[in-house]
Amino acid sequence: MTAQAGGAPSAARGTISALSRIYGFGTVYAKTLRDSRLAFIIMAGLLGSFLLAGAAAFGEAYSTPASRADLANLVRNLPTALAGIYGSPFPVRVETLGGSLSWKTGGTLALMAGLWSVLALSGTLAVEARRGSLEFVAVTPLGSRRIAVEKLAAHLTVMGLLVMVVALTAWIGGALFHTLPGDEIPPAAAIGYGLWVGLTGLASGAVAFALAPLLGRAASAGIAGAILVGGYMLNGYQASVPAFAGLANLTWFGWTVRHTPLAGEYDWVSLVPVALVAVALFVVGVEAFARRDLGTTTRIPWPGFPSATLGLSGPFGRSLGERLPLALAWGIGVGLYGFVMAAASRSFAEQLDKLSPSTMRLIQTIFPNFDLTSTGAFLQLAFVLFAFIVVGFAAATLVSGWASDEGSGRLELLLTTPLARARWAVAGGAGVMAAIVIFTLVVALGVGLGATVVGGDAETPVLGTLVLGLYAAALAGIGLAVGGLFRTSIAAEAVAAVVIVTFLIDLIAPALKWPAWVHQLALTAHLGQPMIGIWDWPGMAACVAIAGGGIALSGWGINRRDVGG
Amino acid sequence: MTAIIRTEKLTKSYGTHRGIVDIDLEVIENEIFGFLGPNGAGKTTTIRTVLDLIRPTSGKAFVFGIESSVDPIAIHRRIGYIPGEFALYDRLTGAQHIEYFANLRGGVDPGYQAALIERLDVDTSRRFKEYSKGNKQKIGLVIALQHRPDLLILDEPTSGLDPLVQQTFYALVHEAKAEGRTIFVSSHILSEVERTCDRVAIIRDGVLVKVDSVEGLRDLAHHQVELRFSGPVPLSEFEHLPGVSDVAADDHVLRLRVSGPITPVVRAAARYELLDFVSREPSLEETFLAQYGREAVEPGA
Repeated sequence: MTAQAGGAPSAARGTISALSRIYGFGTVYAKTLRDSRLAFIIMAGLLGSFLLAGAAAFGEAYSTPASRADLANLVRNLPTALAGIYGSPFPVRVETLGGSLSWKTGGTLALMAGLWSVLALSGTLAVEARRGSLEFVAVTPLGSRRIAVEKLAAHLTVMGLLVMVVALTAWIGGALFHTLPGDEIPPAAAIGYGLWVGLTGLASGAVAFALAPLLGRAASAGIAGAILVGGYMLNGYQASVPAFAGLANLTWFGWTVRHTPLAGEYDWVSLVPVALVAVALFVVGVEAFARRDLGTTTRIPWPGFPSATLGLSGPFGRSLGERLPLALAWGIGVGLYGFVMAAASRSFAEQLDKLSPSTMRLIQTIFPNFDLTSTGAFLQLAFVLFAFIVVGFAAATLVSGWASDEGSGRLELLLTTPLARARWAVAGGAGVMAAIVIFTLVVALGVGLGATVVGGDAETPVLGTLVLGLYAAALAGIGLAVGGLFRTSIAAEAVAAVVIVTFLIDLIAPALKWPAWVHQLALTAHLGQPMIGIWDWPGMAACVAIAGGGIALSGWGINRRDVGG
Repeated sequence: MTAIIRTEKLTKSYGTHRGIVDIDLEVIENEIFGFLGPNGAGKTTTIRTVLDLIRPTSGKAFVFGIESSVDPIAIHRRIGYIPGEFALYDRLTGAQHIEYFANLRGGVDPGYQAALIERLDVDTSRRFKEYSKGNKQKIGLVIALQHRPDLLILDEPTSGLDPLVQQTFYALVHEAKAEGRTIFVSSHILSEVERTCDRVAIIRDGVLVKVDSVEGLRDLAHHQVELRFSGPVPLSEFEHLPGVSDVAADDHVLRLRVSGPITPVVRAAARYELLDFVSREPSLEETFLAQYGREAVEPGA
């Protein structure tokens, strides 16, 4: 008997449908595009809702010429540090819908698109290489360059779609919510803004893409993320901190600072170097991937942690030890930001002194409880909003680490030792909380040092920072409860969803004059104004209760369900 | 004889997906018990239910006489387990993993631990993420064995191990048995089960189809018999003998399959001048494949 080769699969005979080549399993491009669909839907939903909500809120809050004039006057007289808190240092035509959107929302959307691009492009090849699936692809007749280019092309496609969504929602926002002449957003402005969001996002992602074959996913995402956030901050505060201006000119946010199409100002040429940098980095990334050994990366020298911090004595120590590097990284990042902001508070106070008495009165009607010359007041205005989002995502990543015990299969080995399920959940959850304490203390240290450097009151902002920690602990408690009760694989996503929904409620509900109970749904509405010493004790107690309750529910829930199920 | 593992109508369903159905199993103290089945048959589901990692839809599982869902910790104190697929902490070295699990269990003899590391030839200084698949498996084996558990539950334990380390593993299993301990090995590698186990259970599509000794399972198979005569013989003399099937003649050579006793064939053949008689003992693989309705593939076929 002789063996006969079977017929080749239909795909090998060249019968891949045109659709499968674009979306599905016909090509690397199609598969990557398919894998990106959920992220795209989330990003499109987020960015679109930000724009529409911002437009709706503006239309509701400033519907008369007089209110617009007040707003323009206020922004014109705002200290530059405060004007830059949204990442747009030079507000233009804020009395129009487009100008206001551009000032308050424009930079945030670019930041979000950039973070998405960084996460996607740092992992598109590196994650597959690490889990081994790339080896299967690499031994097909496709060359390395083609694999990298197809992966990249898929991300460019979804980013292109996101640009369309941004442009479309900006245009629709203008059409639906214009209340005064000049509010309409012309198609060219909407497209110009969408392109800016897409190109600055891609430039950040390109850094990650170029570095990922050399340094791996985590390091490349870290460096690209730092460049993105650093550039955003430097650009936003370049008007208030002269030392930042020179550095801001090195970033794509700085290059395009005068391109504010929603406000009617166009600087198309400034987009060209952004595009060129992105293309150059993409070429570097493709070539690096093609020339280097598959999956081989260079480790950035980094001081190791003492073995005592690894927590080998039990589940609490292990959970904390595993979370410690991430907690410190978040703490140092946010703490550095807090340090810079606290240190910039003196500049803010000095500029307040230069304002006319009438403008000061106007500002004080808007911020009635604030001694605006204090460090805490500046931090409350310029730091807390951003910090709520960042500590929320820090909590999500720490919960994600806790959840990975089950997701990776480690839990199966752990629970066949004499370690009870509830003990794993409670001790692991307590480890997450301990990591949040460390993260918070590092942030508080940064804020305190910044306040001390400029001779301001450090005590109140440091105590206020601890409230941020309580918020993070409450969010982690929600994640732990979801993980224990249902599935750990959705725990971090649940935390991220709560962070985003809370932020949106806090932002939109007051602006749209929604019922008070809607605004009260946001946990951040119950935390007082901690940087200036206005404490909301019931809200803080609620955070502690949610954190503790979350751990308890996690222990109870894991006892009731299948592990890994 | 004491049953170390006992299941009663153990059933696990995943909604519309089949899991395991009415598994009745008994593993006796100090035996090496093989759990055989193809991928997706329900081996891992059975093990995870016995260990209380997942809960049965119906039925019960007992280990050391303790119902697994009632006091799993008491069971876990006395077992060593290696899952079919597992991951550990990327940042920790092999040594740190071994230390951590020793701490979680307590009572690990450092001398035995060191001997295991040496015999399995593990470099424990590297981070887990840097290990090859085989070296990760070695770390898992040290973790499972280091506390000398009364019951070893090993899900495809030789996966990724090189042949030399496999030999060491088999020796360790036999030593455990010699020390009076019990071993439950899940595998789809038939030769491994055949050479290691005292008894074997075969699971198919979530249902236990057979439990027997290795020898007993072999006896289930059809013997492949080849008779070479000096001249032609009538096929009808053999076709109707009890247990005989697939009779084929090729010149003076007769080939047939016999299930059950071979004596009627021998008696019939003795009436002619028989030059040669070959009866091949079935391997467990052939038995296993027969259970699944497929013939063993002959070498060179």
